[in-house]
Amino acid sequence: MSIAGDLIRGHTDAIILARLLHGDSYGYEINKVILTLSDSRFELKEATLYTAFRRLEELGYITSYWGDSGSGARRRYYTITPAGREACYRLLSEWEQTKEIMDQILSLEEEA
Amino acid sequence: MRDELIRYIDLLFAGAPEAAEIKQEILQNTLDRYDDLVNQGKAPGAAYRLAISGIGDINEILSGNATPAYQSTRSDQTAAEFQELSPRRKMLRAVAIAMYIICPLPLFLLQDERGLCGLLGIVAVATALIVLSAGKRKPGGARQDEQTPQQKLRSSISSVVWTVCVIAYLAISFSTQAWGITWVLFPLTGAIEGLITACMDLKEAKNHED
Repeated sequence: MSIAGDLIRGHTDAIILARLLHGDSYGYEINKVILTLSDSRFELKEATLYTAFRRLEELGYITSYWGDSGSGARRRYYTITPAGREACYRLLSEWEQTKEIMDQILSLEEEA
Repeated sequence: MRDELIRYIDLLFAGAPEAAEIKQEILQNTLDRYDDLVNQGKAPGAAYRLAISGIGDINEILSGNATPAYQSTRSDQTAAEFQELSPRRKMLRAVAIAMYIICPLPLFLLQDERGLCGLLGIVAVATALIVLSAGKRKPGGARQDEQTPQQKLRSSISSVVWTVCVIAYLAISFSTQAWGITWVLFPLTGAIEGLITACMDLKEAKNHED
């Protein structure tokens, strides 16, 4: 796994919710998009993904249903709920703030 | 290799028949990953290994099946620790409450000052237990939280010493009726507490030297 794995894993909930904003999806598909978007530098373990799904379901942020794929395999799909959307936007704005704070703290420029 | 992957996951969940749904979901995701890797031109053996390494630690799920542990930030863990009273503290609290309930008993049985003395004594001990069990959750918690074990020990000893002092004062006063002189117990206890603190300071200083 890549350098900032632990750091990114701390935001698993935000990552999943943000992916589900684009439409219903299932575990492997979400992971594949994460891998593609990160230029193959980051992906989640099945166990981590699964644990996050259950947690988000308990919080009422996502719901799931079993669907059939073309090949006949049963897949568990996830849908984001209105509460999940709200949580997602909240997490995104928190992330923006975190990013800003970290940039300022770690800045190498001299203070004005 | 695909069949071996299915067998591998069968074995992985062999001890957890109740986790059929988890297994189904993880099996499907892992097979999807395997098929994908093979389609990308990976050798079946390499795809098998990559798919298995992508599963991660399954105990993470199985151990806390019903309510998975919240695994994100440290502050969340600390919050949970604060909310949970340790078994020892729960025990102390339970004993204290039991003592509050039975405290009138000496008064009913003896019907005199000794009975009253017993009642007050039981209440004093029960209160001391509550103080001991409260620990971090006392009002003004923020300051308490930053105490070192040494300071915590000190405040615990202090509360015990003073409780014993009050009990002794009441017991001696009621039995001897010598109210005029028994008050010296309080300055005496103050001196004893000072002595204990001094001894602890000395010991601490020695530990630092070593």
